[in-house]
Amino acid sequence: MSAVIETNKLCKIYEGARRGQDVNALNDLTIAVQEKEIFGYLGPNGSGKTTTIKMLLGLIFPSSGTMKIMGSEDIGLPQIKRKIGYLPEGAYYPDFLKGEEILRFYGQLYGLRGKDLERRIDETLEIVGMTRARKRLLRGYSKGMRQRIGLAQALMSDPQVLILDEPTTGLDPVARKEMRDLLVRLRSEGKSLMISSHELLEVELISDRVGILYEGVLQTMGTVNELLTDRDLSVDVTGVTENSVNSLAEKGIVVEDRIDGRARLRVAQTLSLYDAMEILKAHNLAVVSVAPRRETLEELFVRIVGDAKAKKEGKK
Amino acid sequence: MGGVWSIAVYTFREGIRKKTLIGFLILSIMVIFGSQFMTAFLTTSSDTTGQSELDVKLIKDICVTAISIFGMLITIFVSASVVPNEVENKVVYTVLSKPVRRFQYLLGKFLGVQIIIIVNLALMGGLFFFALYLKEQVAPTLLLWSILLTYFQFLIVSAFTFAISCTSTSSVLPTIGGLFIYITGNLTEYLKDVYDRSGQTESTIDWIIGQSAYRLWQVLPNLQYFNLKDQILYLSVNDHPRDAMIPQLILYGFVYGVAGYLMSYWIFRRKEL
Repeated sequence: MSAVIETNKLCKIYEGARRGQDVNALNDLTIAVQEKEIFGYLGPNGSGKTTTIKMLLGLIFPSSGTMKIMGSEDIGLPQIKRKIGYLPEGAYYPDFLKGEEILRFYGQLYGLRGKDLERRIDETLEIVGMTRARKRLLRGYSKGMRQRIGLAQALMSDPQVLILDEPTTGLDPVARKEMRDLLVRLRSEGKSLMISSHELLEVELISDRVGILYEGVLQTMGTVNELLTDRDLSVDVTGVTENSVNSLAEKGIVVEDRIDGRARLRVAQTLSLYDAMEILKAHNLAVVSVAPRRETLEELFVRIVGDAKAKKEGKK
Repeated sequence: MGGVWSIAVYTFREGIRKKTLIGFLILSIMVIFGSQFMTAFLTTSSDTTGQSELDVKLIKDICVTAISIFGMLITIFVSASVVPNEVENKVVYTVLSKPVRRFQYLLGKFLGVQIIIIVNLALMGGLFFFALYLKEQVAPTLLLWSILLTYFQFLIVSAFTFAISCTSTSSVLPTIGGLFIYITGNLTEYLKDVYDRSGQTESTIDWIIGQSAYRLWQVLPNLQYFNLKDQILYLSVNDHPRDAMIPQLILYGFVYGVAGYLMSYWIFRRKEL
């Protein structure tokens, strides 16, 4: 596998109005998005995700460092841009146009004309499942349909790389699932996807690798399996009382879910299985099952961002 | 360059739906149409021939002023808003992520603005032409020349307003800038006066002011060159324009228009979006 997007020590400094007011938006970012993978690009608001994407698209310019798309450093070349599809977050599409007219406009920007253009419109509408709504004005579209049309415009040149900024934000659960399935299908068709998102569950479900950014610094990057390790234990017990809940928490055992006397406990990795069983026995709890508990992407995200925040505050 | 034309058509289709623009256009049409009836209230001569001439003159005056004012407002409003609006609603991101260079994007937007201005001018001018034709029973060809020159006047204001809009994230500053260009462009003759008078004293400050005024007079466009209002008012409606070098004025307007566009590209080429 080769990288379709590469950045090397990429930095972006937004100059302030006065000296000392410069904002270091991105610091020595080195990432690579591989061929035929979904790369989840995560970070809290203002962490530098959109700045990275804008630089990759040539909308803003790096202060230092290099970028390559499909092996080329000249990312502004038309033949390179033809290979990239981009869906911005919350983009506007004019209400007075029909779905197919939007695609006709964007197709023309790729230099498509006549039968080639019409054929590509048909294909793209089919891919995003909007063929039946193609003649409807955008003002009659739901949010999910608008997002699909947005994705369709990104797919008009049949690009090898898709850069998607918050593709599922604001969608209802059904539309979100449909969008997720669509993205997985695009990967299976050989496309590479870089997805910037706040929807951590969505990213966890479909990403091959993730990178977490905080205040312009890449905190971690790796495959989902590498990063989401079995850190704690999940123990189902019976006989839980109000008193035992408080007492267990003091010893590093957290009640995650509880219905009457039954509960699912999370045992921190600092406790050995033997110690945990001793504690539960001391509280007169009957163990129903014990299983390794994999950390969720959300928990990893919160932990990494929390650590980075604490480190920064410690430095101050 | 097909992309440029697509952007221009899209800009036109979107621009003509703007409520402010439609409002200005309706107002101007109402004034042009209403001028036919306004004359009845504004003139009271007992001489029928004199009355008729006065009516026509009033109609011409009202219509030329309406076209000039509303046309200019439409020009400034559209030129000031197309680029900042697209940056705000992120359409520019989707367009520039395609194989479209920044100069092509700007050229498309600029051409789209020009189509809007031309269509509006054609609508207002066409109505005025029709109204005048009904009154005079001859084709008012002088009016056509005037409308042509008015367009080149608008082109200059539009180009520089467009350039200012490329520096801005909202349309407020470019709108103010556009009005400033229109006003100063109509007052450039006064700069020449200032220069002529500055030689009358030995004062250094006077000399500096005079030289500055002279340089500005040399650089700034003189929008009064395009004004045929007096000729429309006092000549026959089918006369040829007098003392107006039409080809030179067209070239003059075109050169300033291109200069404005190049300025906008120079600003936009490294703009962080």
